[in-house]
Amino acid sequence: MSTAAQRVEYLRELGRFDDAEREARTALAAEPQDATLLVALAAVLLGAGRHAEGLAAADAATAAAPQDERVHRLRGLLLSYMGRHHEAVQAGYTAVSLAPEEPYAATGYARVLQRAGRLTDAMTVAHRLVALAPNSAASHFLLADVASDLGDRRTARASYAEVLRLDPQHAAARHDLAVLDARSHRPARALAGLVDAGTMDPSMPQVLQTVTAVLWQLSWRLRMWLAVATVIAVFSGSGTEPSWSARITAAAILLASAALAWLTVRDLPAGTRPVVRAALRTDGPLRFTWIATGVCLAVYAVVAVTGLRVLVVIVWLALALLGWLTLGVRIVRSARRRG
Amino acid sequence: MLSARTNVSKVECVPLKLAESHRIGILDPMPDDALLTSLLSAVEAAPGDVPLRLHVAELLADRGRLPEALAHCTQAITHDAANPAALALLHRLTSAISTPEPPVFDWTSAEEQVADIEPPEFAHVEDPAPAPTIEDIERPTVTLADVGGMEQVKERLELAFLGPMRNPQLAKAFGKTLAGGLLLYGPPGCGKTFLARAVAGELGARFYNVGISDVLDMYVGASERNLSQIFDAARRNAPCVLFLDEIDALGQKRSHLAHSTSMRNVVNQLLSEMDSLGGAGDGVFVLGATNHPWDVDNALRRPGRFDRMLLVLPPDAAARASILRYHLRDRPVAQIDVDKIVRATEHFSGADLAHVCTTAAERGLAASMRAGQLRPLTTADLEAAVREIRPSTGPWFSTARTVTAFGNADGSYDDLAAYLRKNKKL
Repeated sequence: MSTAAQRVEYLRELGRFDDAEREARTALAAEPQDATLLVALAAVLLGAGRHAEGLAAADAATAAAPQDERVHRLRGLLLSYMGRHHEAVQAGYTAVSLAPEEPYAATGYARVLQRAGRLTDAMTVAHRLVALAPNSAASHFLLADVASDLGDRRTARASYAEVLRLDPQHAAARHDLAVLDARSHRPARALAGLVDAGTMDPSMPQVLQTVTAVLWQLSWRLRMWLAVATVIAVFSGSGTEPSWSARITAAAILLASAALAWLTVRDLPAGTRPVVRAALRTDGPLRFTWIATGVCLAVYAVVAVTGLRVLVVIVWLALALLGWLTLGVRIVRSARRRG
Repeated sequence: MLSARTNVSKVECVPLKLAESHRIGILDPMPDDALLTSLLSAVEAAPGDVPLRLHVAELLADRGRLPEALAHCTQAITHDAANPAALALLHRLTSAISTPEPPVFDWTSAEEQVADIEPPEFAHVEDPAPAPTIEDIERPTVTLADVGGMEQVKERLELAFLGPMRNPQLAKAFGKTLAGGLLLYGPPGCGKTFLARAVAGELGARFYNVGISDVLDMYVGASERNLSQIFDAARRNAPCVLFLDEIDALGQKRSHLAHSTSMRNVVNQLLSEMDSLGGAGDGVFVLGATNHPWDVDNALRRPGRFDRMLLVLPPDAAARASILRYHLRDRPVAQIDVDKIVRATEHFSGADLAHVCTTAAERGLAASMRAGQLRPLTTADLEAAVREIRPSTGPWFSTARTVTAFGNADGSYDDLAAYLRKNKKL
């Protein structure tokens, strides 16, 4: 590899795409057909998310060095990111045909298949990749990712665990394992995993977003419990006068809520509190939901003291309001994502 | 059997033609081949026709157009993965492509051509190993007094770095070591380099600006040697401020560099060089700057290395006013309400403010050209420019928020956390 190409590679590995591109283009001005430089430039542009320009470089590299699997692999990935999945799969296949024993070629092919929605084929290639590079965390991570998309949680979980065994500081694997926990309705475990992932790589922006999603999940659980509790409170007696039955029911609900909360938070790591606070700060509706849920619990505390069962109506109204709020937020955010 | 034999004969024949096309060094542009053109059109019309596609691929291969032949062959395989003819052609093409014959070169004639050329003077002198190039070696004249606003930063800089450097005896009396560097961090374009230059000016020292490109080298060990030479050069030119710009690149977390032994060695070398500095005694003051302190290797932040961190935030109101005045000083202006623009540009970096002035100037120029006479810039031009430009610091603060949530167990980012608490909308 030429000096310039090596420097481009270094700069790309460091995430300094602007510098890497400048270096590559300067070198290409002298050697416009240098396939290594063209490949390096295409890789830089792929990393920078400038896929159309990257594809132009990859096409030029393909013409200059059609026997090099890297050019086809990069072409495939770039086409895939541009939504041209059919051509991407063809390019990926060419790469693995040229270098059937090359793990990177298999990685690229599996990725384009995954992005094209051919998850079963992607899974087959990912298994082949793991066979080619069994000690690489990246191989197991890809298999886990594809398995997760395919809904094969068992394989995904086992593969994420293998990634973390090979590379205990793999923040993305820790994050994705936490996502799997959240999808398996284990929000507390997911939250603990996310705090771990954030500690491993504090600059990973999606961790805080996932924490927010998990907090929505937890708030939904708490609201469901409060709805059930409110039904129990309403049907455990009647009348507007203070009563001991109302006091006892409210106290029992508070105790049960405290027990549930303890069961949820007991295994959370020490750094959870600032993370939760930061997540609540970034999401206004979520913050409002938790404050309103807290008010509901406070109302039960008042009922436990005064015995006034009629106050439970406030809880019922608050839960109904929160239900509508959650629905509205979900609709607006889904529309925003689609738009 | 017959079919197999036919295939074998084709396999044996074609590589010779391929080899010939390689021997001439370049693949000649094809003449307009009507048959091939019509077959290519037919392939476009029926992309799933495998025999047709293979036939076209063979014709292309015969004409030396190997990349196109390979593309058609792989598409045929996509449609019929088990097709033996396609697989045989693929094998043939890849082996033909990957083992080109070296071009024949007539050495005797070449030697005759260059026989009468005189060797260049000093050709026998061996080139010394290239010394590392250090950008912007200078003796800055700017001081902290030239930095507009940013009083808090200047005060902290004075207390944490400049004061002890100017009063070594006093610092020693209080047990404060002068070893170690200062790491400036903050969003991009907020004047970290300018501040570093001003620090050099305050200390009356030379200013060495070192970037990643001054260090990186492809040869094994060369990057480490470059780094070592840079520190040696700094010692020779003491007193000096050695400014390591974007130190997250030079000193990236080694856990992120699992696949790059060379870069890991650069980080190790940097650690070793930092340890070799003996405080103010050798006259080398190391300043680092980064937009991503969370990507810097933890070992670099230990005592004696970059153990002091200083947050350089977007310019405050006074600094924004200075920056705006600076960028407008050579432009025709009339009735500029700088305070109004200052209020509208909170969280803008210095670079964003420069961009605002440039955009406003472009508007003024366009208006002048339309009017046919010079029309000075007004507050309205600047306000329009501010509306067009979003502060570039937003994404940085978004990441910083995550970092303060997850990575502030040791309190390193308390300043940043406090700033984010004060500016919740960031």
